Amino acid sequence: MNSDRYEAKRIAEDLEEPVDEASNLAEKLGLHPYAVNYWIVDYDEMNELIAYGGFQQRYPHWRWGMQYDQQQKQSQFLGGKAFEIVNNDNPSHAFLQESNSMADQKAVITHVEAHADFFANNEWFGMFADDPDAAAMLARHSETIQEYMQDPDIERAAVEKWIDHVLCLEDNIDQHRPFAPVETDGRDELRDREEDFEDIEAKLDELDLSEEVVGQVFDEDWLEAQRDDDGEITFPDEPEKDVIGFLRQHGMAYDRDAEKAVAMTDWQREILEILRREAYYFAPQKMTKVMNEGWASYWESAMMSKEAFADSDEFVKYADHMAQVLGSPGFNPYKLGLELWQYVENTENRREIVERLLRVEDITWRNLHDRVDFEQVQDLIAPEEALTDVPSHLDDLDPEDPRVDADALDRARNGEFDVAKYPWKVLTYEGLAERHYSLVEPQNRGFVSRVGQEELERVSRYMFDDARYESVAEALADIDYTRGWDRMREIRESHNDVTFLDEFLTQEFVDENDYFTYEYTQSTGDYRVTSTDYEDVKKKLMLRFTNFGKPTIVVEDGNYNNRNELLLSHKYNGVMLDLGQAKDTLERVFELWGRPVNLKTIVKELDEHDIEVAKRRDREPEPEEQGKLVRYDGEEITTRDLDWEEVEHLAATDVDYDTKPDEWLA
Amino acid sequence: MGLKDDLDRYREVGEERRQDLADFIQYGDLGQSRPDEVKIPIKIVDLPEFAYDQRDMGGVGQGEDAEEGQPVGQPQPEPGDGDEDGEPGEEGGEHEYYEMDPEEFAQELDEELGLDLEPKGKQVIEEKEGDFTDITRTGPTSTLDFESLFKKGLKRKLAMDFDRNYLREALKVDGMGPASVFEWARGENIPVAKAWLEDEYDALTSEEKTEWASMAEMDETVERQSTAERIRREGVDQIPYRREDERYRYPEIIEEREKNVVVVNIRDVSGSMREKKRELVERTFTPLDWYLTGKYDNAEFVYIAHDAEAWEVDRDEFFGIRSGGGTRISSAYELAAAVLEEEYPWHEWNRYVFAAGDSENSSNDTEERVIPMMEEIPANLHAYVETQPSGNAINATHAEEVERHFEGSDNVAVAYVSSPEDVVDAIYEILSTEEAEA
Repeated sequence: MNSDRYEAKRIAEDLEEPVDEASNLAEKLGLHPYAVNYWIVDYDEMNELIAYGGFQQRYPHWRWGMQYDQQQKQSQFLGGKAFEIVNNDNPSHAFLQESNSMADQKAVITHVEAHADFFANNEWFGMFADDPDAAAMLARHSETIQEYMQDPDIERAAVEKWIDHVLCLEDNIDQHRPFAPVETDGRDELRDREEDFEDIEAKLDELDLSEEVVGQVFDEDWLEAQRDDDGEITFPDEPEKDVIGFLRQHGMAYDRDAEKAVAMTDWQREILEILRREAYYFAPQKMTKVMNEGWASYWESAMMSKEAFADSDEFVKYADHMAQVLGSPGFNPYKLGLELWQYVENTENRREIVERLLRVEDITWRNLHDRVDFEQVQDLIAPEEALTDVPSHLDDLDPEDPRVDADALDRARNGEFDVAKYPWKVLTYEGLAERHYSLVEPQNRGFVSRVGQEELERVSRYMFDDARYESVAEALADIDYTRGWDRMREIRESHNDVTFLDEFLTQEFVDENDYFTYEYTQSTGDYRVTSTDYEDVKKKLMLRFTNFGKPTIVVEDGNYNNRNELLLSHKYNGVMLDLGQAKDTLERVFELWGRPVNLKTIVKELDEHDIEVAKRRDREPEPEEQGKLVRYDGEEITTRDLDWEEVEHLAATDVDYDTKPDEWLA
Repeated sequence: MGLKDDLDRYREVGEERRQDLADFIQYGDLGQSRPDEVKIPIKIVDLPEFAYDQRDMGGVGQGEDAEEGQPVGQPQPEPGDGDEDGEPGEEGGEHEYYEMDPEEFAQELDEELGLDLEPKGKQVIEEKEGDFTDITRTGPTSTLDFESLFKKGLKRKLAMDFDRNYLREALKVDGMGPASVFEWARGENIPVAKAWLEDEYDALTSEEKTEWASMAEMDETVERQSTAERIRREGVDQIPYRREDERYRYPEIIEEREKNVVVVNIRDVSGSMREKKRELVERTFTPLDWYLTGKYDNAEFVYIAHDAEAWEVDRDEFFGIRSGGGTRISSAYELAAAVLEEEYPWHEWNRYVFAAGDSENSSNDTEERVIPMMEEIPANLHAYVETQPSGNAINATHAEEVERHFEGSDNVAVAYVSSPEDVVDAIYEILSTEEAEA
């Protein structure tokens, strides 16, 4: 064993206990993670893993090189940070860098356990496969593509470019449908027709007709007509969002020498399918980033600080690490996620309290604020001292108490483990929920009293048994401390970022956490704050997280103009496309379709004069919405205006992502 | 294949083999550095995709007391989301830059430009212990030079050793006693003590004392062994270590010279220095300052702005100031000379005097005053950077005159910058001038 491996082994031994205990603690806290295999890696290996998106083997491509380069420069110039890498697999694999401090290792381990729970239990992850076997799949992909690159009959650069073309459409999949491989049995329609057509040409040649006859009877128009002998075929029946899948099924490659479309080769088709599969595999992670990272940060903090998983000397470093992660400036999805989870927990717990209070005789939603002394409420909901300070109350705990783990209590009393280090072992889920009760934390002390009239009314509306308790004390003795955590686990099961934000973002949350929206204003030529209203903030966040924050593009017609051209449509939601990029992308789509490609979209146009006027009057100009058709035929891009009728069906009328105040408008 | 290969492929993106991607590369730039950090550009390749127009998209920010209508700092778009009419690279997100400290920057620049400027130490600030190469007779045990002690001991042993067996046999010769053997041994150069002979002689039985009839007989029968042979056969059982053989290693005393540098940045702020020219000056001076900060232990900066008069300013103001007046470059050198004389004596400070402007000067000022002063002010390096975005103006001859006068000099550099692309060359020109001398 060389010294490096020896070092890794020594570190691994030190980490065995934290790893086991983190997993035990996670279970106690109600999480059900996949089993996690931890690997100790060195600095270089870590950078490689980060570059490869958390896996050890990926297909050859320059973008991993780019990420590696960035990663290296970043750690070289900005100092190394502790990274957590865990991949969505069963069992999950997580990587720990050997040079990290113990505090960082522990933080990573607790964070990872929570991610593994999310992977295992969030339904969106089931869309790809219940048991992804990801590492093996990605390794297989890598080997297949490597083989093609090394095949002497295939030019390596051609493979690389083909990958680039497909990657431009990486996000153009239908992520809300379960993944299924593209049907490959049977020849596909288009190729069949194309081949039939070639047959006709061949037969005509065989007939050996005179030039004249061919020119008069079997001319180009006639041939074209044969091609479309079924009359106009429009497919797909419904607009198809899985653009890669559609191209995989009906696309062709363009042969520059022959100047015509040719069927894709096997390697082209297979690479398309491979990249599509990877896009589907990674989609759930992109769709749940805010939730998933917030979830991991939430439980990490519960374990690290509240359960003192970090030793006191490690804690300072840990706090520092958290500050680094959450304190990065600007909008930070990790932070948004954590804040939202905490808010969900607090509101659910508050709801429990309010429901109890409303069942007290003579307390109604109208008078609750007058009748209830919130100071007293805070005192009443505080967890029992025996739960917050387990080691000093070991003898007072009752093994029959549902909050106490009788077995562990017994072992603790016999000194089988260090109760000062692992007080949580003595408690059950119920006990821990009380011990961690969010509403008694200093930063949440005003939370219960901030409950609004509206919420009180809403809660009381469904309440029948409203005079069950004689006093506030009696009511609060009954509170269910686990309600917040139970609810959080339900949410992590079924939601994705979009639904999560939609459901839980409230004005209270936006005010408390100081979110605002901004827009580019023509009159000033820069970005201005437009609103702090939660509906507006929500709109902008939805825009950012719906469909990976990308515009929705669908295949509208695979036989556009009855000429086998492709028609893509941009489903316009009031925010226009980056037209320059769209054109570049269209050129790549051509490579995967083999014939001319079109894109219908709606743009907002402003003329110089309007902008001038706006600047003078300090009013925002109203842009003109205009339908456009962008076409690429393999040679050049052309753009022409379309009548409104032709694009009307693309414009969504029920959404409006603009947050500019009305009075700003001209 | 593997990551190394991926890295090579990435470097080739935009190069010959992957020209098709050249349009999708963005580079950050070096400008806008805060005083304590510099941003290093990196290459980002962004494949095109269907994306929203960044401006039309707006966004969400977080921060206290946001009010309607308040401007927000440039939002940080993901790389590649730059819109068509924005200048690429200008709106770059945070992650396109890496901040580095001056020392690393200097290293990078050395590598990049193949420079290796060796900073000169001036003021002695402390005496430092160097390598343990000196030797003394006393010292802490940990610095004891055992190797030399062993060697000396061995030498001593060799010098004192003798063939005991042989001498014992000599005592057995009939008629020889301790005194006569001692006499004989002296003659043979055998370092034996008389007392030892006496003890040995007493230990012999009377029969043994007459074992050999004569010295000749004994010598013939008993083989005499050299010390070296004996040691080789029997090993060294004991080395006589002596206190006087002890030597202790001692660190060499090194005078640590602090490498002080003062950089005088002079800039023409007269009316003719428009926005573009000012920016070029900043782009050139900032990395130079950075480089020297990284090279020396202690760097100080003097900023002098001038039109027809010169005055000292802070760095914050330096690159932004604009005044109306005419231009007299010598005014700045007069002030520089005074400041240097007063605060940065030549025997303690490395001096760099960098001036920049559009080469316009009042008539005869260059030849009659500036050039003589440049000759008079002792400095590691004088430099003049001409910033003329539009090429040469007719009356702007300061740079040329200076260049002509100091042609071939190893401490005066002149560089011309007409666009940001020239900056790196200019920096090289300036820094390599001094290197040539070193």
